[in-house]
Amino acid sequence: MKSSLAKATASTESVEAEPLPAESAQRTALVLNVQRMSTEDGPGIRTTVFFKGCTLACYWCHNPESISPRPQTTWFETRCIGCRTCIAACPQRALSVVADGVSIRRDLCQGCGTCAAACPSTALELLGTPWNLDTLLLEVLKDRVYFDRSAGGVTVSGGEPALQSLFVARFLEACRERGLHTALDTCGMCSQAALERLLAHSDLLLYDIKEIDSGRHKRFTGRTNERILANAVVAAEYMRSHPTPSTFWIRTPLVPAATATEANIRGIGRFIAANLQDVVSRWELCAFNNLCRDKYVRLGETWRCVDEDLLDQEALDALVRIARASGVDPDIVVATGATRIDPASTAN
Amino acid sequence: MEGIHPHPVSGACETSPPPRFATKQPRGLSERIRRLRDHYFSGVARRWNNEFTAWTTGAPWDVQYDEFNYYIVPETYPFLQTFRSSFKQVARRVPLHPDFWNWRIVERRAWFIKEVMVRHLPQEILPGDLLAGARFNLQASRCLNRREARERDRRLLGRKGARARVKWFHDHGYGNAGATSGHLIPDYARVLEVGWKGIHADLEARYHALPARDRRSEKGAQLRAMMTAALMPGELAGRYAVECRRIAQETQDGRRKEELLAMAANLDRVPWLPARTFWEAVQSLWMTHLLVMADENYPGPGLSFGRLDQLLYPYWQASTRDGMSREFGKEILECFWIHANTAYDAMIRLGGNQGITAGYGQLFNIAGVGPDGSDMSNELTWVLLDVIDEMSPILEPKPNVRLHRNTPEPLLDRVVEMIANSQGAPFLLNFDERSMAGMLREAREAGIENLINESNVHDYASVGCLENTMVGNDRSGTVNLNLNLLKAVELALNDGRDLLPVRDMITGKVEPVRQAGPRTGNAATFDTWERFWNAFEEQTRYIIRAAVELYEGTEEVRARFSPTPYLSCLVRGCAEKALDVTRGGAEIRFATIEGVTFATTVDSLLAIKFLVFDEKHCSMTELIQALRDNWQGHEVLQAKARFRAPKYGRDDDEADALAERVMALWAGETWKHRTRSTDAQFRPGMLSWNYWVGDGYVMAASPDGRPRGRFLSNAICPSNGADINGPTANANSVGKALGGRATGKSGDWESFLNHLPNGASHTMTFNPSLLRDPEHRAKFKAFLRGYAENGGTALQINMLDADMLKDAQKHPQDYRNLLVRVTGYNAYFTSIGRELQDEIIARESHSKY
Repeated sequence: MKSSLAKATASTESVEAEPLPAESAQRTALVLNVQRMSTEDGPGIRTTVFFKGCTLACYWCHNPESISPRPQTTWFETRCIGCRTCIAACPQRALSVVADGVSIRRDLCQGCGTCAAACPSTALELLGTPWNLDTLLLEVLKDRVYFDRSAGGVTVSGGEPALQSLFVARFLEACRERGLHTALDTCGMCSQAALERLLAHSDLLLYDIKEIDSGRHKRFTGRTNERILANAVVAAEYMRSHPTPSTFWIRTPLVPAATATEANIRGIGRFIAANLQDVVSRWELCAFNNLCRDKYVRLGETWRCVDEDLLDQEALDALVRIARASGVDPDIVVATGATRIDPASTAN
Repeated sequence: MEGIHPHPVSGACETSPPPRFATKQPRGLSERIRRLRDHYFSGVARRWNNEFTAWTTGAPWDVQYDEFNYYIVPETYPFLQTFRSSFKQVARRVPLHPDFWNWRIVERRAWFIKEVMVRHLPQEILPGDLLAGARFNLQASRCLNRREARERDRRLLGRKGARARVKWFHDHGYGNAGATSGHLIPDYARVLEVGWKGIHADLEARYHALPARDRRSEKGAQLRAMMTAALMPGELAGRYAVECRRIAQETQDGRRKEELLAMAANLDRVPWLPARTFWEAVQSLWMTHLLVMADENYPGPGLSFGRLDQLLYPYWQASTRDGMSREFGKEILECFWIHANTAYDAMIRLGGNQGITAGYGQLFNIAGVGPDGSDMSNELTWVLLDVIDEMSPILEPKPNVRLHRNTPEPLLDRVVEMIANSQGAPFLLNFDERSMAGMLREAREAGIENLINESNVHDYASVGCLENTMVGNDRSGTVNLNLNLLKAVELALNDGRDLLPVRDMITGKVEPVRQAGPRTGNAATFDTWERFWNAFEEQTRYIIRAAVELYEGTEEVRARFSPTPYLSCLVRGCAEKALDVTRGGAEIRFATIEGVTFATTVDSLLAIKFLVFDEKHCSMTELIQALRDNWQGHEVLQAKARFRAPKYGRDDDEADALAERVMALWAGETWKHRTRSTDAQFRPGMLSWNYWVGDGYVMAASPDGRPRGRFLSNAICPSNGADINGPTANANSVGKALGGRATGKSGDWESFLNHLPNGASHTMTFNPSLLRDPEHRAKFKAFLRGYAENGGTALQINMLDADMLKDAQKHPQDYRNLLVRVTGYNAYFTSIGRELQDEIIARESHSKY
């Protein structure tokens, strides 16, 4: 913890080198979802492109389907008509009908999409589709009028968009060329080169700092946080020396029994104050939510937060107070997300 | 009988059930208005009310009920005879003028209505009320002699009469049509400016200018009838003035006495003379308005005020300058609000909710673009917004806020704030650019550019909900024809015949299938998609012809037997031509075909193309069999139709191009027709009232995967659940279906194109979290500004409510697109577990996002 509080240097060279997946030049990118009229991923009305594959594996992750860099098959019970078309279609024989529906053997499934293509009711869906640049660009341009009137634009998110930085950089550049505002939403666990490649074409940087203690960070996300903190400094340095990005927002998820501790918020606050004060204009504390429970079920995974309740309002308020007193400009601290509702008030 | 609402509200707008979790309550009302409002909502417990009273000439053949007013309300078909007989049975006899039977129908009717309104109906004033004019719901004698009554009955009730024909049309899934009252904006401005005295004088001058031969003809009779009618408002006001003075004498309350005497003084003056003050203007407007409803024997639907903030503004300015307080001005308006709601008393004893089953739509517009492109909102606009806010929830009058590119930011802020606080918009939104494009399109198609053009099109206004017309000279029959475009798909699939025989719901008798439409060939032999399209095209031409033909029947009966001489005084063109408004007197006259089932039609065509021709999932024969079997035993094919085939509403350019092709086809066919009896041009629009629900049970299964019994699509909206790409995609699709945008200024209005001059009803449901804080409200405002560029003519905004979510729990298949958002996270509601769904519902009912 101590080391991360010290003034960091704007380089990841010195950071203990954890291997990152190599990237190859792509004609297409694997995209999980293109979300239009997104109102939560930066200013204005935006189209958010969720790229598949992540360098972290946060145990609370709300989008577990975004972690794997490969396409994944998922089954929606409410859409299934029970026709068994998929069972016969699967070349790997990975599908079977069990008591509570269609079961997918994850060890056999190759994510080839044959079953999803055959399913008449779209109950089987292949998460992750290849998109080429032109198609993706046409898709985001459809909402240009709404971007223009809301000072919105395009956000690249994930997963971790930097995992496909060659494609994403070209995409952001193309958006920029057409006058669209661009935002990069990153967890910071990427190479300095990939980060800078994306920063060059981003107007806004949405940067996650989840946990200040490296050991805890590793427990929560599978990786230590040195590279993330160093990259935050890289980004700040990049902003100081380049015209864009012009805006830098930090986001911290508040997960009960994990990141939602006073020490963590105070620590992140001090880190921001020490290294990023002059460039960060917003620090968002995002209250944990539990809406993704069923996503884990559908992916055949267990979610460690399954019994976790939402934060109560008091706890959230307390963390906001701590954040504001941590040394950052208090005005940049914002809280978002749902808090627990008092059971008494829902009695009717 | 379950599901049948015997209340004959015709022409009212489509309504969704009021949100049961609505927590919006009236607020900030004065003691006076709270008492009047509570009294109104005490309903049948009131000592007297404004329910229909029936009146007869005493002739044994007499009839009151103009049943074709309700031919567009299929739920009433089983009750038409009952209504007709009941009104006749309870009708009170009016002693007739000695010359009565020597007059023509129009003069008889003018005299009769005036006689009833002035001499037979009591005049009453409620405690604290600032406006006079209480009872007006009449079922008055049609004033026909024996020969006329027999002729009218033959045309309506004969074996091939209008009633049998409309029933056939409806039972076979085509839709409905009937000459319906209301649905226009009278020339109220003229009454305020010159008074009925001025109108009467003008009529008199025109009458005396007629050659003697014309004076003895129908023209003379028409003008004489209108002169009689023009005296009615003044005489009725005189009666109310007497009543005000009587109560003033009795009251002990000095302040109330003053008010009553002031009301009497107002009534001495208006509506006979021009209004000078705001109070006089509102009194004049109400008295004039209620008599239109009396004249038409039709309580309210679509009888609209136009741009109220422009109409009343000079009087507001004059009175506030002379010391009227803003608060008193608001009280006058709020009394006007209560009076407008008394239209619903017509059948107050029917049904659980004071007989109210749908909104009548005495609509007014506020704000909107002016001649120079800037916004015309003024102080009164803001006052009216306050009144709407304070009075809601209440049904009448119905507000419609006009938005456009130059809508000022503070006004849009107020609009969005009201939407946020009311859990749904307490008004409709009309979008000027797209609407004006439609109005200029109709001017061109009908060759009336002298009446609607670049210089005056900004003065358009809406009637009912969103049906755009001009003001004071325009009757466009905005709800008169309602055509299920989907019928043409069915006929194209079966060589011009119904897919299944029709069984009479009451007798159980099965009617054999016959050749109704043109023979377009056995669809099973079509080897290309274009061949199917050609068949669809020909069947579309046929159903439009059939609707036009059916409509002519009642348009003609109304023209001959149901004149409205009082209303004719308020529509420019009638006096000039000495022609009743029911006979084509209005300067601008259209008959509107409302295209129903648009998205179901487009999606069905897309599914046929996808399943049979592009992907070859099945043969045409298999598809037709599946439809005949109502998809039973064809579930896999049905799922492919519902979930795999492309759909309109997703901003998918290919699908939307077909939507536009369907739109251009049916709109183009509509322009080819005019009424024979009244020379009105047909025009297209999209408004589905509740037909999309009811006709879902009448129409056979459709190729989009919909079985019989499931709802059809509503107006221009995408099919239920089809708009999976969010609000901007939905809005973009709607805009493209209307024609989209041209380059430069080559559109109908600048670059805007619009196939539907009447306007297109579009309802969208939003998540309340989108309005939770100023930052998100700004995004919503931007969405509305974007809608003005890319979307349609009119938007109803609903907010997701707990009831909808509960319904989604029960029927997940209908809510595939239902996205719930919790700050930064979205999930399809139907794909999360029950427990979490319950939590979201609990959250939603407490607005805890």
